[in-house]
Amino acid sequence: MAEHLLALRAAVMRRERVSHSTLHFFAYAFIALCLVFAAIAMATGDVFFFRLATEALIFGGLALAVDILLGYTGLLSLGQALFFGYGAYVSGLVLKEIEPSFWTAMGIVLVTATAFGAIAGIIAIRARGVYFALITFGLAQVVSKIVFNTRELGASDGIIGIPVIKTDFLLFQVDTGHAPSFFLLVLSIIVGLYFLVAYVMGTPFGRTLVAIRANESRVPFLGFHPWRYKLAAFILAANVAALSGALYPMLRGFVSPELMFFQVSGNAVIMVIIGGVGTLIGPLYGAAILTGLKSVIGTFTEHHLIVIGMLFVLSVIFFPKGLVGHARPRIERILAARGRES
Amino acid sequence: MLDWLQFILAPQVINGLSIGVAVVLMALGLTIIFGLLDVINMAHGEFYALGAYLGYALIASGVSFWFALVFVPLLMVPIGYATERLLIRRVFHSKERHILTLLLTFGLAILLEDGLKLAFGANPLKPEQPISGASEIIGLYFPNYRLFLMAVGVLIIVAVWLTVYRTSLGAMVRAAAFDRHMAASLGVRVSHVYAGTFAFGVALAGISGVLLAPIYSVFPTMGKDFVLIAFSVVIIGGMGSIKGAVLAGLILTQIQAVSSLYISPVWTDPLLFGIMVLVLMVRPQGLFGRLGHG
Repeated sequence: MAEHLLALRAAVMRRERVSHSTLHFFAYAFIALCLVFAAIAMATGDVFFFRLATEALIFGGLALAVDILLGYTGLLSLGQALFFGYGAYVSGLVLKEIEPSFWTAMGIVLVTATAFGAIAGIIAIRARGVYFALITFGLAQVVSKIVFNTRELGASDGIIGIPVIKTDFLLFQVDTGHAPSFFLLVLSIIVGLYFLVAYVMGTPFGRTLVAIRANESRVPFLGFHPWRYKLAAFILAANVAALSGALYPMLRGFVSPELMFFQVSGNAVIMVIIGGVGTLIGPLYGAAILTGLKSVIGTFTEHHLIVIGMLFVLSVIFFPKGLVGHARPRIERILAARGRES
Repeated sequence: MLDWLQFILAPQVINGLSIGVAVVLMALGLTIIFGLLDVINMAHGEFYALGAYLGYALIASGVSFWFALVFVPLLMVPIGYATERLLIRRVFHSKERHILTLLLTFGLAILLEDGLKLAFGANPLKPEQPISGASEIIGLYFPNYRLFLMAVGVLIIVAVWLTVYRTSLGAMVRAAAFDRHMAASLGVRVSHVYAGTFAFGVALAGISGVLLAPIYSVFPTMGKDFVLIAFSVVIIGGMGSIKGAVLAGLILTQIQAVSSLYISPVWTDPLLFGIMVLVLMVRPQGLFGRLGHG
């Protein structure tokens, strides 16, 4: 019996290693695609597409946060833009009013977003299933309305005139005004967040989240407290969203209450579904696809949302696993075959 | 004191009532759809906008408001029926149907909103008030249209209640909500009941659109803010409860109306939301139980 269990465990672990390395394969492919794009854009001396791609990556970070909740904990957040916008506002205020420093801004966002995420989480986690979706939707709606009407935060105009900053890393300096180097900085931060989250989801903590997603009422019988794990996942997702949001004012030089609106939260959910829910790297692909589509369709018609909406409805019905979710078994087979050969 | 009651409080209460009746109509559609199908219809606000636009287009083409008021819900029924059959049905038997149906209706909302923008433009359109003038009540003047709105709204709410609780059709709906397999084995054509109920809820949203268009004017995003209040009402009243939707709808809009005497209107939304959060914390299932359950 014990031997049988051990064999089973070994088989499961082998299977998971393949699955993990498949996802990392998608991650490396994503980085490679980004670098190829950067090389081409740099060669042609383009700025517009660099900015657009940087924005896609930033919104990809928000989508990553949605996937932590939806793909791993089974909680659909319809208000994740709340934390994205929060990060953007805090970062914008710090850069403009306190100190134009990348590290100060990111540090303050990290600390305060943890507190903010904990407060919002305690409210939202009480609700399950669809109630959670509605409560996050409502939270974001209400806070964005308050921001929209607060003159101290620039009301409907938001905060404008956020300075371009220079960031010192040990060996080199990045100027947010220089499109290619800021693109590479954002790429490394977002991909870094991906690997961090992917690592966390592989730890016992992440496995407990998956167990909660599978069957929440059984988890307490195994000795775990679902509430704590869900709250921790919520705070993690809030931080990922806020840190991505903090990059936004460095890119565009302004923040506006629209960043917290439902449209932004909804777009993040679309990115997750199109890219592949529960894969973490899928949302980044989804962000690239959605931003690319919008920009391409936008050159033909201003009604690009009809196309996006149609695409989204069709992908929910026919491709609920998304791009990465569907391509995954194929890549897995190839990787497994190669693993057997070596 | 008496003056305060008559000239400050009373107008707020009556205006609140007219909005309340409209909110209840929206919430009824949402709660019936949720109670039977377990589907959160994120496109409910867009169906409301669609109803308002259809009404506007009909009136612009020369028919009277009264004809539009009757005809728009009839038009919405096949639209809702087709939505259920062609879209929601496809993911209905999935394990994650809560999330998938929510996402599906969300995609539909995007489609509808932009479609309306494409067809009618983004600028607000203002239909004419079909009933002009004002009537005197307790020494105050109220627009006749608002009084009419209240009367029609109450009629519809009573009609919905009677249909669900006093007709054999309603009994089928409640039976399907309580135990769909048992209902099916007793000969209820459950899949038609599902599609029909969705269509009914959507038609309710459509008629609220027609009714409110002369007050709030018509624009593609008109459903967005309105549907948030309707969602709060449904959550507080209990998902799937008709009684809950009516009571919570009237109470919430009264709180909104009266509180705006004291606080800036900017803060009434957070106040309503705070109440919703409190209810969710104390009584997650809402004030009343679900459709078909007691």
